[in-house]
Amino acid sequence: MSEFNDNYPQYELMAHHSEEEGKIKRRKLWNVFWIMLGITLVELMVGFYNTHFSEIALKVIFIGFTIVKAGYIVLSFMHLGDEVKAFKYAVLVPFIVFIIYLVFIADLGEGTYAKKYRMVMDKNITDKPQHSEHAEAAHE
Amino acid sequence: MSHDAALNKSKPNWGGGVSPFGISYGKMYMWFFLISDAFTFSGLLSAYGFMRHKYPDVWPNPGDVFTHFPFYDGHIPLAYVGLMTFILIMSSVTMVLAVEAGHRNDRKAVTRWMFWTIVGGLAFVGSQAWEWYHFIVGTEHGAIRNILVDGEWKDTLIHGANLSYNEYGLPVFGDFFFFITGFHGFHVFSGVVINFIIFLNVLNGTYEKRGHYEMVEKVGLYWHFVDLVWVFVFTFFYLL
Repeated sequence: MSEFNDNYPQYELMAHHSEEEGKIKRRKLWNVFWIMLGITLVELMVGFYNTHFSEIALKVIFIGFTIVKAGYIVLSFMHLGDEVKAFKYAVLVPFIVFIIYLVFIADLGEGTYAKKYRMVMDKNITDKPQHSEHAEAAHE
Repeated sequence: MSHDAALNKSKPNWGGGVSPFGISYGKMYMWFFLISDAFTFSGLLSAYGFMRHKYPDVWPNPGDVFTHFPFYDGHIPLAYVGLMTFILIMSSVTMVLAVEAGHRNDRKAVTRWMFWTIVGGLAFVGSQAWEWYHFIVGTEHGAIRNILVDGEWKDTLIHGANLSYNEYGLPVFGDFFFFITGFHGFHVFSGVVINFIIFLNVLNGTYEKRGHYEMVEKVGLYWHFVDLVWVFVFTFFYLL
């Protein structure tokens, strides 16, 4: 690379750090691990006793915890938190915007609509297997 | 990487010779690939969410479906998936420790942590195979479902699930289970293969000669992404 442009920075070499810096970094990484383990255990406890929570409460708890965990993975483990601001936004913004759109349109909007009109929409399906299944599921 | 920021401040970004993102092209394109892959998984998971919102009354409760645990006869809901999540998070930690060791050019430590990452990945794929096995075989008592046998709809005693029927509830639950966990499991498998190749390179001293371990960092990005997807699959498939 240097034969083409002497000023071109070697980004690969820039991420190097010393032994002492490494110690601090490792401590931080293990802290993240313990936080994530704790969150997973809490999630499992809530999942185990999920009948004690309302559906909305479960959704808020689980999705909230998931976003916290995802944030730790992306920002700490994948080092996105250390990149320059422009790159952070270039990665996160398109994804987040699209996902919010998808969740609201596909899941909440279309899903609820499809539930409301499902007897009309898939009549030939619900007439046959689904009804008996529903009855069976109730028996068990 | 703080060096990059300092460098970007001292030099005009758009004058050439310096990347405005302050990142090597290999890492940047790994990120862009991961975004596109994340879109694929988001599509799958939101399709799952759509069906779930459409059939909330006949949707199986995952706590009743995934209750097996190795070497234990009883039923502990979700314990095994919890263990799988732990394995994958753990292997993500060993991966990031390998990356950190790479930044210090510590070949021994990179080798050690890469090895444990591969072990964790294999343990996870094995667990998933075990989970699939129990889902396909199903319970002993089974359930009676109206399924298509030789072109006719008949009430038949069935065990477990496949792509066309499902003893636990709606068949589409099984389809989504096989597709989403299968797609994720294949990512884990590819990750293990890629990690293994990089592990061999580390053993051969390829990166020692090169002077930096950025390849470890790149496969690390992929590996963390696999963990990231599992966090979402775990929430939407098993917990909610």
